[in-house]
Amino acid sequence: MSALLEIDNVTKTFRTKGFFGKTKEVHALNGVSLSIEKGESIGIVGESGCGKSTLANLIVRLDEPTSGRILLDGTDISHMKEDELRPLRRRIQIVFQDPYSSLSPRMTIGQIVTEPMRVLGGHSEAETEERAKELLHMVGLQPSAMRRYPHEFSGGQRQRISIARALMTEPEILILDEPTSALDVSVQAQVLNILTDLRAKLHLTYLFISHNLAVVKYISDKTVVMRKGAVVETGPSEEILTHPSEAYTRELIEAVPMIGKPFRMPDDIAESV
Amino acid sequence: MNEAAEAAVRPSRWKEIWEIALRNKLTLTGFAIVALVVLVGLLAPVLAPYDPNEMNIPARLQAPGAEHLFGTDEMGRDILSRVMYGARISIAVGVIIVAVSAAIGIVLGSLSGYFGGRADQAVLAVTDMILAFPSMVLALALTAAMGPGLLNTMLAVIIVRIPMYTRLMRGQVLVAKEQQYVRAARTFGEKPFWIVVRHIVPNCLTPLMVQMTLGIGDAILIASSMSFIGLGAQPPTPEWGAMISTARIYAIDQWWYAAFPGLSILITIMGFNLIGDGIRDILDPRSRK
Amino acid sequence: MEPILQIRHLSLSLPVKKGMVSILHDVSLDVAPGQILGLVGESGSGKSMTAFAVTRLLPGGGHEKLGGSIRFCGEELTEKSEKDMQAIRGRDISMIFQEPMTCLNPVFTIGRQMTDVIMTHQKISRAEAMKKAEDMLASVHIRQAADVLRCYPYELSGGMRQRVMIGIALSCRPKLLIADEPTTALDVTVQAKILYLIREACRRLGTAVIFISHDLGVISQICDTVAVMYSGHIVEAGKAADVFETPEHPYTRALMAAVPKFTVSAAAGDRLFAIPGIVPDPSEAMAGCRFAPRCPFATEICRTAPPSDTLTGAGHLVYCHNWQSAAPAIGVLRGKEAEA
Repeated sequence: MSALLEIDNVTKTFRTKGFFGKTKEVHALNGVSLSIEKGESIGIVGESGCGKSTLANLIVRLDEPTSGRILLDGTDISHMKEDELRPLRRRIQIVFQDPYSSLSPRMTIGQIVTEPMRVLGGHSEAETEERAKELLHMVGLQPSAMRRYPHEFSGGQRQRISIARALMTEPEILILDEPTSALDVSVQAQVLNILTDLRAKLHLTYLFISHNLAVVKYISDKTVVMRKGAVVETGPSEEILTHPSEAYTRELIEAVPMIGKPFRMPDDIAESV
Repeated sequence: MNEAAEAAVRPSRWKEIWEIALRNKLTLTGFAIVALVVLVGLLAPVLAPYDPNEMNIPARLQAPGAEHLFGTDEMGRDILSRVMYGARISIAVGVIIVAVSAAIGIVLGSLSGYFGGRADQAVLAVTDMILAFPSMVLALALTAAMGPGLLNTMLAVIIVRIPMYTRLMRGQVLVAKEQQYVRAARTFGEKPFWIVVRHIVPNCLTPLMVQMTLGIGDAILIASSMSFIGLGAQPPTPEWGAMISTARIYAIDQWWYAAFPGLSILITIMGFNLIGDGIRDILDPRSRK
Repeated sequence: MEPILQIRHLSLSLPVKKGMVSILHDVSLDVAPGQILGLVGESGSGKSMTAFAVTRLLPGGGHEKLGGSIRFCGEELTEKSEKDMQAIRGRDISMIFQEPMTCLNPVFTIGRQMTDVIMTHQKISRAEAMKKAEDMLASVHIRQAADVLRCYPYELSGGMRQRVMIGIALSCRPKLLIADEPTTALDVTVQAKILYLIREACRRLGTAVIFISHDLGVISQICDTVAVMYSGHIVEAGKAADVFETPEHPYTRALMAAVPKFTVSAAAGDRLFAIPGIVPDPSEAMAGCRFAPRCPFATEICRTAPPSDTLTGAGHLVYCHNWQSAAPAIGVLRGKEAEA
């Protein structure tokens, strides 16, 4: 097995207690399997509620799967204790969707970006600061940003700061959970370009999550289409676009708003609860 | 702009806070009042014209005049000197009560909010129990049980105040722990203790600081009230509440006796309340520019 | 068709700590009944402020300065009192926003909230209003509308909530609907349905629509006319077909190039065109064109003198010094995608 990250038949069930002690079960993930090779860029596309963010949370172990295994270089991390997990965490980092709540408003950018390395330990302060400046430079920010606070930055800049922070631990895998969904199209282009450059420069492996197939197509070599907690279709991005084998994939392709494409009435316009 | 130049342009955090305070006249008034009261309290031995406990029976119950600016009490003690020493006591009482109860409340609230589970349930049950009583009544009962005296009163007020800070902190923590920056910290392996200390607490402090400033005024009032009904500071301690208590019977003919300690309480509490209202804006980094 | 809303030389200044800052400059727009005008630009371009100026929901606390003219149904809105505007909002002009959740009260059912709205405008009983609400939801293609009426806002999906908001917005048959980024928070599949719904309602009811978005892709899907805004100016305007076929302003072209297309991929070495820098702060004074610092085609004149509106074709307006000399360079912008 040469896969860097292997997701093996993972399910996740959330139990919520109702008003009268009735438990409701929500199956967020139903036997999802996925294998990511080193250096690959994989896109996961699907609507909200398809389980793509749940999967991201399981991979960075903000949550544990109900069943199934998540293997990092062959080691099952799905139920690892926090102390065992800690040294492995630096290898997988995540960038979240919301540029506003992902940076602590009371810390300076310097504190925010250097924090992962401080937690990791074993690096001198000068070393840490040097690396933070280098990464900020890579995402197109001035070193003077270090002394400023998040509220002084725009959404796109904050998202770049989040990317710099995630790269501090020299991760191999970067999970990008809708990193551009909250941004203007023009800013999105900026962030996508930066991500492309970083991947080439730092030999990163990407897992890019989005509801927009055009964005996923741009950034990823391979596309995974998810729906209702299950994988619908997997294949090279080009292939998925030109020869989608599932009706749902076609629906996703149709839905992407694009200049010059005639507007077509969606197959089923109605919606019910 | 190069870095050095930018550092020079960017004022320090305290300077910024000060600048914002300057813009708001009411907050500034609050700061001025509190500063004055604290200063008077600290410098009481220097400023006070008389020993606060020195009796001078022939000069008893003198109206305010050149010799005694605030008049004298039934033992001929100088009321101005007693009010000055009273500032010491009141400020100390207010600050200690709030500091201790808020510190305990912040710790309990953070733990119960962040970790949840059994400990949370227990904390909630106890705070609910305490909050079920009117705080004044409970403080009264506790002091009565422990025996009158300033220290016991403070202890009672601290106990009564803890749940308020605990609840406030817990609510803040519940919101803060769902923020993405807390989740991000977990993904790079930050230990729970440091998550609480570095990420959660600093982002929850604003409403607490406001509550604490308002709380000082409140604590001073409760402590004075307890002294007034005889459970707190005991005569001849120059505590404002205790002074008013003994002044009761002279209130009609010798108005100055009750009026000056009363005014002191009023002004001090007003000062803290003005600061409390203003501090909210100052501590919010988004209002700093 | 005769435009129902005619904005001419609209300017807007808002009070800030020190004096006033100019938010909109010389904005002129027309919207006709049954037509959709797309208002596009990045955050801070002034597109939402234009909408707020029309409805007079301005954040200036009454100290804002509004200049120019807004003629709506033959009446001058800038001269209306706040009370008149209140009557116009909701009855003749409706708005929908990006986050419908914030417009719905979480503690009441959808039915209760919709009937409240209906009953403030019409003197009918709760039961009759409920029937109307059900029809309204059915008209925005909600199945089992009666069930939805019994739901609380949190029980509905984002798309469903936006449908409800559209239903409420259209309930009084407004003459103008202002949709401020109504699909930005939605999945693309849901977005496609909502876009269709807005267009259908606009055609069926003859409602004029101002559709605000930062995404030219979305705008191109449903709009009849387009106005591109940048830093408080309209930099290009015209029929959607014209603007998207022959974009003349460098900003429009840059925005178009920023939309990811199926034909580009990072793996093939393609790059999206990202506009360098950010929208200038409104308080920043500039002698020339406000886009000049970010414009790949800016020349000396752009930095020294503001451009003027130029008509390039039938109703196709561009606000740029160099639109003609920059035109051959369209290829450079488009080519940049594949260049790197």
